[in-house]
Amino acid sequence: MKTNTQTGKRSHSGLWIVLIAAASLEAISCIMYFTSRAAIRHEAEQRVQSELRKAELQINAVTIEMETAAKMLTTLAERHIENPDSVANATHVLLQTIDHVSSAGIACQPYLYPTKGRWYEVCSSRDTCNGKPCIYTREIGSASHNYFEAEWYNNGLTIDSCWWSEPYLDDSGARTMIVSCTHPIRDKQGKIVAVTCVDLSLDYLQNLSEYLQIYEDSYYVIRSCDGLEIVPGADTVPGRKYHTYDEEIDATGWHISIKIPEDVIFADLNHMGRIVGLLMLLGLGLLILIVWRSGRDSKRLIETTARNQKMENELQIARAIQMAMLPKVFPPYSDHSDLNVYGMVNPAKEVGGDLYDFFIRHDKLFFCVGDVSGKGVPAALVMAMTNSLFRSISAHEEQPEEIVSLMNRAFTEQNTQDMFLTLFLGVLDLTTGRLDYCNAGHNAPLQISNGRCQITNVFANLPLGIIADFPYQAQSAQLSHGDLLFLYTDGLTEAENSNHDQFGEQRMTDVLASLTDTRPRHISDTMQAAVEAFVGDAEQSDDLTMLVIRYQTPAIVMRNDIQQIPTLAEWIDGLGIPDELNMPVNLALEEIVSNVMLYAYPHDKSGQVFVEFSKQMSNDKSQIANIIFTVTDSGIPFDPTQKGEVDITLPAEERAIGGLGIHLVRQLMDEVIYSREDDKNVLTLIKRI
Amino acid sequence: MTTTITNNGNQIIAAFAGRLDTAAAVQTAEDIKPLLEVSGKEIILDCTELEYISSSGLRIFLTVRKDAAAHGCKVIVRNINADIRQVFVMTGFVSLFEIQ
Repeated sequence: MKTNTQTGKRSHSGLWIVLIAAASLEAISCIMYFTSRAAIRHEAEQRVQSELRKAELQINAVTIEMETAAKMLTTLAERHIENPDSVANATHVLLQTIDHVSSAGIACQPYLYPTKGRWYEVCSSRDTCNGKPCIYTREIGSASHNYFEAEWYNNGLTIDSCWWSEPYLDDSGARTMIVSCTHPIRDKQGKIVAVTCVDLSLDYLQNLSEYLQIYEDSYYVIRSCDGLEIVPGADTVPGRKYHTYDEEIDATGWHISIKIPEDVIFADLNHMGRIVGLLMLLGLGLLILIVWRSGRDSKRLIETTARNQKMENELQIARAIQMAMLPKVFPPYSDHSDLNVYGMVNPAKEVGGDLYDFFIRHDKLFFCVGDVSGKGVPAALVMAMTNSLFRSISAHEEQPEEIVSLMNRAFTEQNTQDMFLTLFLGVLDLTTGRLDYCNAGHNAPLQISNGRCQITNVFANLPLGIIADFPYQAQSAQLSHGDLLFLYTDGLTEAENSNHDQFGEQRMTDVLASLTDTRPRHISDTMQAAVEAFVGDAEQSDDLTMLVIRYQTPAIVMRNDIQQIPTLAEWIDGLGIPDELNMPVNLALEEIVSNVMLYAYPHDKSGQVFVEFSKQMSNDKSQIANIIFTVTDSGIPFDPTQKGEVDITLPAEERAIGGLGIHLVRQLMDEVIYSREDDKNVLTLIKRI
Repeated sequence: MTTTITNNGNQIIAAFAGRLDTAAAVQTAEDIKPLLEVSGKEIILDCTELEYISSSGLRIFLTVRKDAAAHGCKVIVRNINADIRQVFVMTGFVSLFEIQ
């Protein structure tokens, strides 16, 4: 009877566990979702406003340039008003001087020049002569082209400054939108005798897409004051929700309207939301299973209190969700032989707030390591939020201080618990090795270069979540191929043994300095083993996180077995060199490598051939100047560059069967250099791009 | 890498497919042996499906060409792609073979 009552109570509390867990998970994900959503929307708005301002500045600049052109033409015409040919020449000169002007004309009052009759209008416009751009000047005023009635002419006569027309379609056949700017011309007595008219092709507005085409699938429309579409936009997709941003251009009175599909703005967030939702369902399923099982096993129920169980299950689920957010496939990038990354979090018993994350965008590795103050569910919640902010902001920002500042602002504004977060965030350019980073109160990472270990120079700045507008400063460093970055949280250096001694920085750097195998996973495993040996039986008090990044020379090692040649071709395919160089590089390397495989080592002895790839940037660092391959073997000294040339003009009967390999290498590469270093043959092949 | 040999009256055709690199050359040198035993025929080296050739492959072509001259055979290389044509030009092979 007694047992029955207890079981009844337990299963009742089991239901409560599931309900509370579901409610708290729901709350966590809602808070996370809406916080991130608000931050992303705010970020999108700021970006749109900034791009709109850039576009407005450019339109203003062109408008001022056109008004200057109109005034300049007026001055030129007034100086030579008595001579009609000089007036015509002035329009020609203006087009030569100012690129934006598509045509310029001067229209005179009736009988201004008696020899020219009632109508005298000259116009210069841009044309093509013999395939080259040229300027075409002609008289166009006549009874059939009676400009006296035209709106621009009458406004030009009466308004004593620049007058702008509404945009209209050019009728000269170019079918482009133009606007005209007019200005009156006075003779020496100050009487208005003619009107200047300069035309501006609105084609330049198409170039504003550089600013205004902000997201994929977003579009923009520019309308005149009258609502005419100067730059038409695409059709909206029915059923898709759009965010619209408007701006009026002061100088012209036009409206720019940008429409961005909502699903594009929140694409990253929605993706993450789906993952979290799925994990929550899995977690709840697991919890129900546990509760159901524990309901059957009343003996175990008696041993533990329902309260403890609820706490633990909740924490386990929170932990599972948290861990699922971290990258877990190592090595992560099979298509980047120049990079190897390994990351791990070894959690303390409770859920904690350590995190690491990384991804590649545009050949740049974005990465971060962070540590949230405190432990438990609140810390885990902040960690999850940070993770989503890092992903969504880094998806379009590239400067580490910008990313950190935006993360800090979003986090500080939502920070009701007075929590804070230390973070190190870096952006490594994989083509140049330049590392830009911003540190927010986190432990300085270690840099290992040629076996020497040194602490990265970092500004402390301030942890995230304290001052919303803190001006974070970025720094930069240059990595060479083979260099390592070792990032960690204080759970490593502050790991304690049973005497409360800490592992400390010295032990950490000693481990790093003694390494011979520099594969990231091996480094992480070695460090973890060293910490475990030090800590012994003491309980782990804090999360331990490491992220190891190796920026390496892409290389391949092969045995002296000719059947390994196809792996060389696969390796070259993965290097990302331009397509047209694939065959030349393949052939040249195959000739050298197969030569080593066949002749460098005695027949019964196994040996290796090692091929490394590197790039050399042009002086201004804007593009790749040379690609370089180094082929190294430990075989007998042999310099293939000393081999004589074959005569390729001989008839077939006289051609020798061999010798073509090195001939091809010389033809295909720009430089072939041999050296003997440390009992090794080193052949360097250079191809210019 | 595969080599298919067909007899067609007065012609003997060797059709190559794939990458004729150093690793594949060992087998290919065996496969083309029938071409070295004919006399007075037209030998066609069909390269329609041949993607790539290195010097070890060129050596096989040269062996066929030399042997054909001794046995009164004519050698025609058919349908080489742009990459292989480039290799033929660099090695002077364009003037050793009739290329269709």
